[in-house]
Amino acid sequence: MKTLSKILFKRIGLFLAVTLLALTGCNEQKLKRPTDAGGGKKPAAPAGGMDKAFARELAREFAREFARELAKQNITLPAGGGGTTPVEPVTPTGAAVELNSAEEVMDFYEAHPKAFVVATPADLPTNLQWENGSELKEFGSPKAKRGGTFHEYMADFPRTLRLVGPDASGSFRSRMLDYNSLSLVMAHPNGDGYHPGLAKEWAYSADRKTVYFRLDSDARYSDGEPVRVTDYFFSLYFFRSEHIKGPWYNDFFSKEKFPNITVYDEHTLSITYYKAKPDVIERVAGVRPIPEHFYSELDEQFVEDFQFKFEPNTGPYEVRPENVEKGKAVTLTRVPNWWADKKKFYRYRFNPEAVKVTVIREPAKVFELFLKSELDWHGLGLPEYWYEKLPNDHKLVTAGYVHKVQFYNDVPRPTWALRLNSSHPVLSNRDVRVGLNYAMNFDVVIAKVFRGDPVRMNTVADGYGPRSHPTLKARPFSVKKAKEHFAKAGYTRTGADGILMNAGGKRLSFTFTTPYKRLEDVMTVLKEEAKKAGVELEVEIMERTAAWKKISEKNHEIMLGALNVSVEIAPRFWEPYHSDNAYEEPKEERYDAQGRLREGLKPKPVTNNFCMLADKDIDDLIEKYRVSEDLDELTGQAKRLMEMIHAHGSFIPGWVRPWYRAGHWRWIQWPEGYNVKESREPYEFHVHWIDSDIKAKTIQDMAAGRKSGAATIQVFDQYKTD
Amino acid sequence: MMQPATDQPDSEHAPRARWEIAVLLLVGLASGFAVGGLLGGLLGAPLGGWLLKSAEPGAGVISGVKNGFIILGALGGLAGLVWGARSRFNPQTRRKLRRFYAIKRGYVSFVLLIAAFAISLIGEVFVNNRALLVSYEGKLFCPVSPFSRAYTGKEFGLEKDRAGQDYTFEVNYRELADDFSKNKSGNWVLMPLVPFNEYENDFREGLVHPSKPNVEMQHYLGTDRTGRDVLARLFYGFRITMIFALVFMLMVYLIGVVIGCLMGYFGGWVDLAGQRAVEVWQNIPFLYMVIIVVAAVSDLPFTLPAWFKILVLLAIMVVFSWTSMTYYMRTAVYREKARDYVAAAELLGASTPRILFNHLLPNTISTMVTFMPFTVATAIISITALDYLNFGLPKPTPSWGELLQQGVANLHAPWIVLSAFGAMVLVLTLVTFIGEGVREAFDPKKFTTYE
Repeated sequence: MKTLSKILFKRIGLFLAVTLLALTGCNEQKLKRPTDAGGGKKPAAPAGGMDKAFARELAREFAREFARELAKQNITLPAGGGGTTPVEPVTPTGAAVELNSAEEVMDFYEAHPKAFVVATPADLPTNLQWENGSELKEFGSPKAKRGGTFHEYMADFPRTLRLVGPDASGSFRSRMLDYNSLSLVMAHPNGDGYHPGLAKEWAYSADRKTVYFRLDSDARYSDGEPVRVTDYFFSLYFFRSEHIKGPWYNDFFSKEKFPNITVYDEHTLSITYYKAKPDVIERVAGVRPIPEHFYSELDEQFVEDFQFKFEPNTGPYEVRPENVEKGKAVTLTRVPNWWADKKKFYRYRFNPEAVKVTVIREPAKVFELFLKSELDWHGLGLPEYWYEKLPNDHKLVTAGYVHKVQFYNDVPRPTWALRLNSSHPVLSNRDVRVGLNYAMNFDVVIAKVFRGDPVRMNTVADGYGPRSHPTLKARPFSVKKAKEHFAKAGYTRTGADGILMNAGGKRLSFTFTTPYKRLEDVMTVLKEEAKKAGVELEVEIMERTAAWKKISEKNHEIMLGALNVSVEIAPRFWEPYHSDNAYEEPKEERYDAQGRLREGLKPKPVTNNFCMLADKDIDDLIEKYRVSEDLDELTGQAKRLMEMIHAHGSFIPGWVRPWYRAGHWRWIQWPEGYNVKESREPYEFHVHWIDSDIKAKTIQDMAAGRKSGAATIQVFDQYKTD
Repeated sequence: MMQPATDQPDSEHAPRARWEIAVLLLVGLASGFAVGGLLGGLLGAPLGGWLLKSAEPGAGVISGVKNGFIILGALGGLAGLVWGARSRFNPQTRRKLRRFYAIKRGYVSFVLLIAAFAISLIGEVFVNNRALLVSYEGKLFCPVSPFSRAYTGKEFGLEKDRAGQDYTFEVNYRELADDFSKNKSGNWVLMPLVPFNEYENDFREGLVHPSKPNVEMQHYLGTDRTGRDVLARLFYGFRITMIFALVFMLMVYLIGVVIGCLMGYFGGWVDLAGQRAVEVWQNIPFLYMVIIVVAAVSDLPFTLPAWFKILVLLAIMVVFSWTSMTYYMRTAVYREKARDYVAAAELLGASTPRILFNHLLPNTISTMVTFMPFTVATAIISITALDYLNFGLPKPTPSWGELLQQGVANLHAPWIVLSAFGAMVLVLTLVTFIGEGVREAFDPKKFTTYE
């Protein structure tokens, strides 16, 4: 995985990301200047002199009063104005660390003496090779201008501002966390390699299970408090706590997976992972610092207490309580004098002064507001938007007000595919499965339903760069080959309706289930085309929850859907294709002496093996793949696995969209080449900026009925893979 | 409809007019089929489940329902015909029917709707992608016949279809006609007026879907998102909706009338308990039940054919809709049973069923008839609404609700929503006109006649 937060975001549902973007025009006066009244508990007194702290507190109190007064009068201060405490450099490195946490937290550390170690700088291994990613290229544009308010929308008001716990995995969290916060190191979105985040240097241990980090001494939370190494101790206390009501985190950050964190001095720490994965640094950098001064300790009231309190974060944008309009909108504002503002990799990004996210529930209304320029952009991924609702000859496009962009990215693709339940009595026959592969006319679906926009998916894991299979192709639609395979399985007679039957009169008919209402067209076209190959598909479009229940209990026959995938270096095979996730019985009872699957096994519910794929050779290879620590070996195994699953035939690859498309008003400006390779949506990496001069001029042009420029329809295919 | 003879004397023994026989036969057939089908379906389910052992779970129950419905429905229809042939209207009813004939707006609407329904029942002849007749090398084929099998392209000398696939599947008759006329081989194909069926996606070159009404491409009302002909879907949607609505109406009346009759005739405790039961039943929210049952049915571990799902939907709607009829029936029976002829029948020793069905029913049913068209209208609206909400007919069954939904989501293709909306307005208007005519004709307070 790239970062922990990315995975979490993926869990919410990839498609939210595609659809949820853009916002309404807001009332500029209502936008309040950030004050320093950060929600939450009082910060713990810093180690410095008491007088200074008192003075600072006093200054904040005045600032708060002042801001409240201003807010009452609807006065907006000029951007970049003061009112905040300047960042002070922390004391030089080398100082020893003293644990000074709340009682319960101290008890937790003491209960795990091997996991939380306070060492001295002398304990650091001497042969470490420190890296800092300075050889990598920056990906913002020096032309970027700061300022302005960027308008987006969300389909629903976030149910909480917490980042963990019940309801916290809503789509709004990615704006607060995934697309905003900094982790220790950040994966470079234009290829391999890492650039500094909260850490300015890092080094690997000899066994590559441990990574050493030196924190950037400037690193600050949005409330002005420095990021401390002990916050990483606290992080594990936090994520393992039952009070956060997040079992997924409890497991993900369990003591088995993160056996040790050692702090060496005020800015140096090491985090150990249980396996030497090739991308171990991403896994340990997934440990996000939790501001101990904000929480101090947790209790069972955590979920309620922090429901609408914004956790101070390390990123450029923060949510201030005065900018939360319950049920209507949330405005993210830039942290004044953000600590990484002038640093490489950050200085030309996160340009808008504020991001206003307004609730608009009706998709049709969202688009209308975009056309009225109250939202700065809108996704155009669906053919109906790109070709019909905002065609190239739309007057906003021809007048140059709105630019249309298609950008080819290179990220793992969601697996839109048919999954055949191979525990089904008929589908357990490989010839039937392979025949079905040939009977599915995805080419006509892509050409006619999707108007040729996407491309055919070829393997179970497309879009993993070098880990993708270079030559393997999905089986094309072929009536001849399909019928050959069905004949091998005994389906040789043709009924009066053209559907194949076997000698016993059993028709080649399957229920074809999907949880996605919008895929109805795909389903019906596949059904009509499959008739040609003598297969009947009974289309079943179910309500989301009911459909997923049916599928995860393995009661389906054929399902159409996608599993979410994270951006990571190698695909996962165990969850969707290992027999551990197909049957309840232990592995040795699943196969007989010849390695064949036994009959009468009990399907395992609530797992992702929707193909019910259980094959001894595939199982064995997946097990090797999982423990593999060498990237080349991993690559070879991944390719072999893709071939084996292809041969098994229970996964019929559907389509992938190797790009995203968007329309945006002309005042939104972009670096050359538009965006970074691993972006999944235009605003993920915040490389855009708002040009207020252009905006003013465009508004004048529109009022006067003048064109602002030539129609701009751009295609950026520099990262196109084929 | 036939011309009612106005000069017939309203006497008991006069020979019946032809129109009267026809109406009676029709009524007998329809109600006989409904009763028989209902009984057959109900009996067939457990019987089939018990008797038919099949490799596929649930297949016994399903085929039991199907066969029971067909067999007992046919028997019931026959019995109804016999009944129709032997019975006659009482003079009052005859007068009412004549009055209905005189109300031209209602009568014309009735004739139009019945004619449209009759055409839709043999709709395959008019709207279909299978040819009516194919003459190939001297032999004549009739693929449109329900007993015909699917002829492959190879049987007509085509090795590959236009996409280059092996032509071992049903031939595309439009392309076949095209080929024949190009080759000038003397073979010919006669296509129906609208050469598309309701499921087929028309992916010919030069069409971007949804495409506008286009006479040249023979999409007279355009196509929907996946290139299906809107007219074909509208047409078959009409058929399914009408069948659904009529069967729904018959079932609802059957149950409602019988239970209402019993409550009214026996009175006392039966009436009291019955009414309370009806009140309780009525308060179960219908829409939620539909949602729950539809979800439960799709969650079964075995596959149900589409027609069975339609039947389940029909059953749920009937089960939750018969209640209101009982009130009218019960009061009508209360009123009638106090009359002298009932007492006379009792004195003569007539059995309870005889009194109920031979004496009371004919005299009370006329009230019910006035409600019938409105029940049909309600049924059409309900099924369309349920489809619109995705709880209706299983996909991709042609339905008006589905067309409306598509149309509303694709307002840039107004022909979809306009077609569906127009058809709906037209049919509902006709049904309402019929309803008004019937109500007026059957109004007991009416003194003037329309003759």
